[in-house]
Amino acid sequence: MTSTEGYKPESGLAAEIEVEAYHRLFPLQYYERHLAESVRPDSRALGRARDTTIALGPVTSADGSALVKIGDTTVLAAIKLEVMTPSIDSPDVGSVAVDFQMPPICSPVVRPGRPAEVAPVIAKQLSDVIMSSGMINLQELSLISGKAAWMAYLDIYCLNADGSLFDAALLSATAAFSHLQIPLVSLSDDGKLITVSEELKDKAAVEPVNKENRKLTIAVAPFSLTCIVHGKYILADPTSEEESVMDTHVTVVLDSKERLVSLYKAGGAVLLHTSVVKDCIVLAKQRMEELSEILRESLSAMEVD
Amino acid sequence: MGPDKSLLRTKEDNKVKRAPILLEMATGTLGTYSPSQSLERRHQQQKRTDFQEVDWARSDGRNFHQCRPAFLRTGAASSASGSAYAEFGSTKVIVSVFGPRESKKAMLYSDVGRLNCHVTYTTFSTPIRGQGFEHKEYSSMLHKALEGAIMLETFPKTTVDIFALVLESGGGDLPVIISCASLAIADAGIMMYDLVSAVSLSCFGKNMVIDPTSEEEACQDGSLMITYMPSRNEVTQFTLTGEWPTARINEAMELCLDACSKLADILRSCLKDNASELTA
Amino acid sequence: MVGLSAGERQFIYGGIAQDLRSDGRQRLQFRPISVQTGVIPQANGSARATMGATDVIASIKAELGKPAPLRPDKGKVSIFIDCSPTAAPVFEGRGGEELSAELSVGLQRCLLGGKSGAGAGIDLSSLIVVEGKVCWDLYIDGLVISSDGNLLDALAAAIKAALSNTGIPKVSVSVGASGEDQPEVDVSDEEFMQFDTSGVPVVVTLTKVGRHYIVDATLEEESQMSSAVSVSVNRHGRVCGLIKRGGTGLDPSVVLDMVSVAKHASETLIAVLDSEIASAEAIDDDDAI
Repeated sequence: MTSTEGYKPESGLAAEIEVEAYHRLFPLQYYERHLAESVRPDSRALGRARDTTIALGPVTSADGSALVKIGDTTVLAAIKLEVMTPSIDSPDVGSVAVDFQMPPICSPVVRPGRPAEVAPVIAKQLSDVIMSSGMINLQELSLISGKAAWMAYLDIYCLNADGSLFDAALLSATAAFSHLQIPLVSLSDDGKLITVSEELKDKAAVEPVNKENRKLTIAVAPFSLTCIVHGKYILADPTSEEESVMDTHVTVVLDSKERLVSLYKAGGAVLLHTSVVKDCIVLAKQRMEELSEILRESLSAMEVD
Repeated sequence: MGPDKSLLRTKEDNKVKRAPILLEMATGTLGTYSPSQSLERRHQQQKRTDFQEVDWARSDGRNFHQCRPAFLRTGAASSASGSAYAEFGSTKVIVSVFGPRESKKAMLYSDVGRLNCHVTYTTFSTPIRGQGFEHKEYSSMLHKALEGAIMLETFPKTTVDIFALVLESGGGDLPVIISCASLAIADAGIMMYDLVSAVSLSCFGKNMVIDPTSEEEACQDGSLMITYMPSRNEVTQFTLTGEWPTARINEAMELCLDACSKLADILRSCLKDNASELTA
Repeated sequence: MVGLSAGERQFIYGGIAQDLRSDGRQRLQFRPISVQTGVIPQANGSARATMGATDVIASIKAELGKPAPLRPDKGKVSIFIDCSPTAAPVFEGRGGEELSAELSVGLQRCLLGGKSGAGAGIDLSSLIVVEGKVCWDLYIDGLVISSDGNLLDALAAAIKAALSNTGIPKVSVSVGASGEDQPEVDVSDEEFMQFDTSGVPVVVTLTKVGRHYIVDATLEEESQMSSAVSVSVNRHGRVCGLIKRGGTGLDPSVVLDMVSVAKHASETLIAVLDSEIASAEAIDDDDAI
């Protein structure tokens, strides 16, 4: 842990072995040498996140969906709406069920029958953040008071895992909810709600239950940034390799009104100074602005189509 | 646990195993139901009567012997040794290949390599949530379609894992998975005798419809699927359901083999394009 | 699995090439088949079939259910196969699951026809009680007791025998049931309806060893296969299902040739099986009296 003292070009063993071998044998030193030069192996500055793209509506069989790429991390979120009977205590609210899956295709370490340990952890964190951030007004998911409400099944699949999975998953969830189009439903004879087909929409024969509220109003949206803290360095948006080499993670979730929704520091050997946490929050704020701009752009691009 | 209790299994246990087969469009999980269920059903009933006619138009405007447009791309997942994404109409599949890597410790020594295939569906892949689980046999079908094409002797003692995830199921899922998997294997640099291309066909009365969509598949009288290595002129997997006179099997095979050869050309050009992109 | 020495392998190969297999059979000759019906008294129908040392049991249970909304005029059938650990040590625990699933799917393909129900060996419309409301659900369970190759063919034969042994109770629908409600039905304890099995196909698996195909391969012979094709053929010589069961690739013309050979072989199998079932039924009836 002392090799941060400086970059010594022609010294000892390190000079003789090739860069790739050095990278494999001494990953931590390899990173520390980069960090001393304020650059990361993928040529990013320490506080910079990777390129991020959002594609809305890739899954046509879902009511709302989004594909998010942060660098090589690829996450697909889709929402399917089903009808449920609301509980007696809260007759006017719908519900959201969040699941995060890491199928074997996403990473060499996940195999069938041996699911990734982090998947349920991320699912729980996502569910907590989505519910506590107030992004979704559950009353908008109500259909008939006390009788029927929407149950939104949000399923997020990680297609390629290369670090910062929670950030990508949360962004995809927010994007999928923004893209969600609630189908028009009417009450059938046997008391069930059925989708009104395109042809019947204009006819007077059926009376849709939900003429309004076809889109959710997303007043505030949460955005997150995961940072790795290593010594005096803070690395934003780590790749999976960076995550495996250095182990103090901080995840900051801010909403679009710059309020702190959640702050999560996973174990690790290093205790953080409050000033470091503040630095992370500053980075997260920049990232939040960046992400909300990207989301806004992709939403307006969709409306043009 | 003690020894396997399959002989002692009670009727209830059997029911649990059987349940998925008979659960057609039943309720979803947690007591919720999809509002599009009955619409879907009415739609299919309508289609069913249509399909009995001699002449009908396919919903996507194709003629009977025309395949869906295919979009293929390799290198979809960077963490894998090789991967491919395929989109045929609304069927979307992603396949990752890992390895060759060390076989599980419990495995016996083998002087040829092993293939481990696994197919999963996302919960949102089907019109009604969570109905993709009834395709348990796809993993072994994928294995059988590929084992005759891969040079297993080139990686002794090791395993190649082939994982497929169906993002959206729009019909002809298995043939798309197989074609996509052979592309991913090529992308991983694993040696094969030839690319395997797969095409299915549905039969309605006297009509034969190639590369069916899922609504066509749901009402078919019979089906045929061929996986084929065109340069070696070999069929690696062949399944057929429904009642067929021999002459029709011949005719259907001709159609499928022709489509397979064309698809293999598309697969090949996709590999070439991606390779030239990398060098450029 | 089967461990064979180079000499034994050579013997199997050579024998097949000369049309004289290690147990004295010709390439297209089946092992003696014997069928016993009514082996499980609780089931609606059951049969045990043995082909050489391969021994399987099939049982059929009929329960009243509701037809699928898309097929209001048809009953439902599900097939489930289990490989008992008594058959082979590898079937212990979860070891037999993959083979069980493969056999179940293979039989479903061969016996149940297309998705629309057309071409099904089992006449699904005869299972309907009240259209759109009540139908019979047939649960076909197969159990492999001893395995010496050719399981799919043996299971199909056992199922065919069990179906002809099946009596489905007569059902009377009480009058007055309105269109909306589930009608009330009365299941008779005495009167049974015989199940029509004339359309149920047999399955013939052709195993390719070297350049030749053989029927009814033993476990030893199966271990030497380069590929295998299972064809299900009904009484009218029509193909009702086909699966290639792994192995190396085959030339399309070879596949077609195998289909025609399988059709030819099925004629003998159907004849043998029919007479076996008839004599088993006769014994069963004698016992009943």
